[in-house]
Formats: sequence, structure tokens, C-alpha cells
Amino acid sequence: MKLELGKIEIRDIQFADRTCIEDHVLYVDKEEVEKLVLSDDKLLECHLDIARPGDATRITPVKDVIEPRVKVSGGGEIFPGVIGKVSPTVGEGRTHALDGCCVVTVGRIVGFQEGVIDMSGPAADYCPFSKTVNLCVVIEPKEGLETHVYERAGRLAGLKVAAYLGEAGKAVEPDTLEVYETKPVFQQAAEYPDLPKVGYVHMLQSQGLLHDTYYYGVDAKQFVPTFMYPTEIMDGAIVSGNCVAPCDKVTTYHHLHNPVIDECYKRHGKEINFMGVILTNENVFLADKERHSDMVAKLAEWMELDGVLITEEGYGNPDTDLMMNCRKVERKGTKVVLITDEFPGKDGKSQSLADTCDEATALASCGQGNMTLQFPAMEKVIGMQDYIESQIGGWAGCINEDGSFEAEIQIIIASTIANGFNTLAARGY
Amino acid sequence: MVKGIEKYGIPVVHMATVVPISRTIGANRIIPGVGIPYPLGDPTQGETDSKKIRKRMVRRALKALQVPVQDQTVFEKDI
Repeated sequence: MKLELGKIEIRDIQFADRTCIEDHVLYVDKEEVEKLVLSDDKLLECHLDIARPGDATRITPVKDVIEPRVKVSGGGEIFPGVIGKVSPTVGEGRTHALDGCCVVTVGRIVGFQEGVIDMSGPAADYCPFSKTVNLCVVIEPKEGLETHVYERAGRLAGLKVAAYLGEAGKAVEPDTLEVYETKPVFQQAAEYPDLPKVGYVHMLQSQGLLHDTYYYGVDAKQFVPTFMYPTEIMDGAIVSGNCVAPCDKVTTYHHLHNPVIDECYKRHGKEINFMGVILTNENVFLADKERHSDMVAKLAEWMELDGVLITEEGYGNPDTDLMMNCRKVERKGTKVVLITDEFPGKDGKSQSLADTCDEATALASCGQGNMTLQFPAMEKVIGMQDYIESQIGGWAGCINEDGSFEAEIQIIIASTIANGFNTLAARGY
Repeated sequence: MVKGIEKYGIPVVHMATVVPISRTIGANRIIPGVGIPYPLGDPTQGETDSKKIRKRMVRRALKALQVPVQDQTVFEKDI
């Protein structure tokens, strides 16, 4: 599969009479977007707001962050199986991305695991979305909705808006054009016979109970491990639906911008032969964990991989999936490097992963989420601060009357994201 | 908690879904749970059968407490 990804640089978002892109500004027809969101009868109200880097603005509780993209050619539609048609598959032809802007879905909490984005101040250093121009879609659900119904309505609202805004970029000439290609397995292996064959084991959050991810519209807990071309992921074949801890939530934006895939492509044909993605999940039954890690190892062997990188989403019991994958892949003779974040407790004294194994000898840490930070009061709050104390990272009494609060950095969206997108790291002394 | 209680000479059975974590934390007597959302029962089987599962598991745990063990032991079947 070969994908041309054209990036249209977006420097600002402004409300206007019609949705279009001119001179790097995304103009948004507010009424049309609100109408689109409210076409779902589960939602009662919707209002839009814009947050720019440097603003004294806090956005919370954040559910998902999405980059607008559009398929220009090659078949398929963006977010297949969820917003776009499920068939044909995506990942080929040309896609345009509105680079530098995001859709952020906001509203009262679904679970307790939705986060904070500060557009300035100390917390901004820990969040990638403090540096993007954000169109915030603030939703109000109907009274009495079941939690999972509200979650679905919020998830679809964000994706719909992102797909709608992406359309504005279809006919715009992109500022940059990058080409990514992964060939069918035998051809790919033959292309660079002297380079080590490297794969990426991509673990999707699939614990259920509002911790879900979707692959071509399939609830990730319902599939068995499979192979993916990396370019499918760039076209939105995986979307986030989870309320996992904000710090290591893989938002839909991060699926589109998977740093492991980006880095592997940069080295493809030079240092490594990037063979593609083995997609797996993190289920709540031991039999699933055992069966799916066996299948991951089988796929790695079948692809004759020399090495794999493994990332997980979330922490706690998914650490077991991470270690099972590591142990079983290593035992098939493939080298493994793990990428994850850590939770050693506020005092730093606890074991920072819930599980470990002898084969886990190489690990890149994306930082730890238990460190506490002072969040100053902001001039403007998009959404509401009513839930700070119960959002993960906060605690009873952590918020002050003026709106400032103290919390662990795990309350910040993507602060320690366990695929390495952010800049936190651990250093050995 | 398992290790803390055993330090005082009181045997503990750890009933949890993810056996590798039970091993990692050093539990000596382990009974695998049904699933993380419902370790001691199974609501998909209905309340009556779910209670039966629970009763069997608790009985197995009470027996496991009385079994001398040398190494970390997983009690997968009724004793």
C-alpha cells in the first residue's frame, strides 16, 4: 500500500459564513457544525469555541482530540466503518490533513478518566494540544442517557466534525507531501534483504466498560490479532473510544500521528526494513491475553521479523499483555523493545509497572504520571471544572475556590502517552 | 497486602484474574478469577449460575488455604 499524505498548514481557526480554508486559516461555519452535531438525538446542546496556543484557557473534561483529514483519491473514506464506508479499505492513494488544528470534544464526564488541556502556563509544557489551534465541540447530553450511549454520542460528534472540516481541505494544495509505502510481505522482505526486518506490535485499549478502541468500526475487544498496513492507520482505520487515564490515552489524533510508525518510516530502507503493524488488544480475560499474545508471536514468526517495537495503552493489567507479548515474541527469536509510561506512586517508591518478565530487557520510558503539578486559575474555561477532584490525577480537596488546583500530571491529556509521542522520558544514572 | 499478611504467618489465597500479576507480586496460593470486571462470578450466566460459580471458587479457596505449598501454586481446579 502506498499513501501520499499532504499536509495543509493551518495557523488559525475563525468562525465565518462558510467552511473553507484560505491562506492557512480554517474558516468554520458554526451553525452548520452545530447542526451536524445535533443531528444525533442523544445530544441536547452543542456550542463551539476556539482555543489558541498561549491563551489563558483551560479545556476540560476532554474526551478525544482529532485531526481533520480527508481522502482525496485511492478509495475508501476517512474513519472507515465509523463515519466513512467500511469498504473499500483505506491506506492507498492520497489523503489531505489539516496540520496544526484539532477538534476537541468536551462535556461533562462520561467516566472519571477525561483530562485537561491548558493552552498556557506550566501544564502546557506537558500537553501536545497546547500547541495546536483547537476547535472545541462542547456537548450537552440529554438527561438520563446511559453512560455508554453518551460516550458513543460524544465520540461520533467529534469524528463527524473532523470529517466535515477535512472536506474543506480536499481541493487545497498541501504545503508538504510525504509518501509512505509498505509492500505485501514477500515483496517487502525482498526489497531490503540486507536490513533487519522490523515490525510494530500495536496494542489497542479494549478493556470495555468505556475503555474501547475501534478498528474499521469493530470493537477492538472482539477481534483477534491481525496484520495492518501502517498507512491504513493514517487514514483513520483506528479511532479512540476510550476514557482511559488522560495522560496515556491514545487519542484519535495519536492514532493518525503514531510516532512509532513515523519513526520506523523515517528509517525504512536506511537502517531497517519496516514490515508493518501487528494489531492486538488488551482484554480483561486471562484466556484472551494468553491466546492473543500467542497469535502476536505467531504473526511475528510468520513475518520472519528480526525485531519488534511494542506499545501499550493504559496501565495496570495491560502491563501483563505487554509482558506476555514481549516474552512470547522473544521466545520465537525476535528481539523486542518495549515502549511505555510508568506509575511509581506519588513517592516514587512503588513498582512502576504492574507486571514484568525476564525477557523485558529493553524499555523506552515515556515518563511517569504520578508527579504533581500546580495548575493556575485560567481566565477562561471551555467546558467545566466541576469534576477536577474526581478526574483521574485529582483528589478530594485538590481544587481551590479561584479555580487553581493541584493534581498529578496524569490528568493532562497525553502527558505521558505510552507510544512516545510526547517528550517526557526516563534517564538512567 | 498478600505479602504483608503472610509475613505474620497467616496464609493468603489471592483470587484475581491476571495470574501473572499474582505471581509478580509474590502470592503463594493463587486462584484465577473469571474476568477483571467480575472475578468471582459471571453475570452472563444469570444470577443463579453466577452464584454457583462464586460458591465453588470460595470453597476451593478455603481448601487451598489448608494445602501446604513449597512454591507459588495456581489452583485451577477444585481440590
